[in-house]
Amino acid sequence: MSEQGMAGRSRSRRFSLNAVLDQFFFVYAGLAAIWLAYLLASETFAFGWWGILVFVAFWALLAYLVLPRVHRVLTTIYVPDYFMGRTRTSDGLFGDPVNLAVVGGEAQLLAAMDAAGWTRADDVTLASSRRIITSTLTRRSYDEAPVSPLFLFGRKQDFAFQQEVAGNPAKRHHVRFWRCPDDWLLPGGARVDWLAAGTFDRAVGLSLFTLQVTHKIDADTDVERDHIVRTLRDSDAAIEVDVLKDFSTGYHSRNGGGDTIRTDGDLPVIDVRAVATTAGSVVAP
Amino acid sequence: MPRPAATAMGALLVLLRVLAGVAWLAALAATWRQALEDELGEFAPEIDAATADAVLWFVLGAGAIILLVEAVLAVLIFLGANWPRILVMVFATLSISGTFAAWWAGDQELTLDLTLVTLALDILVMLALSSRPARAYARRPREPRRRGRRPPGPGR
Repeated sequence: MSEQGMAGRSRSRRFSLNAVLDQFFFVYAGLAAIWLAYLLASETFAFGWWGILVFVAFWALLAYLVLPRVHRVLTTIYVPDYFMGRTRTSDGLFGDPVNLAVVGGEAQLLAAMDAAGWTRADDVTLASSRRIITSTLTRRSYDEAPVSPLFLFGRKQDFAFQQEVAGNPAKRHHVRFWRCPDDWLLPGGARVDWLAAGTFDRAVGLSLFTLQVTHKIDADTDVERDHIVRTLRDSDAAIEVDVLKDFSTGYHSRNGGGDTIRTDGDLPVIDVRAVATTAGSVVAP
Repeated sequence: MPRPAATAMGALLVLLRVLAGVAWLAALAATWRQALEDELGEFAPEIDAATADAVLWFVLGAGAIILLVEAVLAVLIFLGANWPRILVMVFATLSISGTFAAWWAGDQELTLDLTLVTLALDILVMLALSSRPARAYARRPREPRRRGRRPPGPGR
């Protein structure tokens, strides 16, 4: 037996043991955190006014560590992982509905969104996080503020665009885009290059499922969908739109933050293949 | 693959856990005589000062070595190694289970003192290091090691 063969086998065995250990630690940490939350909650009343601080620690633990972990474990067990017209949050809960599709290349899509008056959102980094805090404290607007990650095809959005509403940081239009896997067809057989989820943030509130601070979205997601389509159409006559009627049957549901969602189920397919991408060809008349 | 926040946070929490251990050792050294009497009861007066000091130094030395190892593990976790992550989580699991058993049996009151702080740190370490981004980062595909790439040659 060669040395390499032995090394290869011991490596694969070690990795599967790792996977089992990781699953165990993942669930164990969740259970331990529930216990810690219980301990903190029972301490809240023993400390008088200082108990408020303990209560805040309890809430932070519950909202940002315990409940996401619990949802992650439960949704992994119960929610099948295939395309059903909804995005997922990082905890595995259902997020905003997929309500737009795009045919065309990345450069054309970016150019079309830019020309239609949309601002690309920054990625979440240390620098952008710092800028969110400073812009909130100084009440200055941050047009390129990052959007939270939502998942489709098991991936975070490739990019997102947004429009501010009259300097109000609680309200904004935003739309996230995912590139479809190669040779992937929509249910029904249509071929598109991108899928998108557009929703309107109407206020800041607490998520129903995780108690985290989050944006509440407007229930009628069709209004935002049609707004996105209209801005694109108005900005460039080369953009064509074809509507897949009743793509998802009109449903009433909730997104990952517990907000109600209403839609007629139509899926506009935006064709940006004719959009000019080089700066020289976008000539004003 | 950039280092996820969960990995950096986990390494930082392990370091905080080390600091909590240092505080615990310092508190022990400061109240050493009292601790001896609590543990040994009537036999404590029979121990002379030199022996007590020797035992204290031994305990402090052993504690320091453990804490030093844990600090090195924290650095390795930060650099993205997998086995220190697993090892630290095994230790945290044992520590949490022990505390839970004592609490369940009613021997231990868990109030806002050093015990609850170390317990909370252990649980936060577990949450951070067992999260999906931390796992994916520690188990990311790497360049195969040179030893594994070398074809089986005449030196076998």
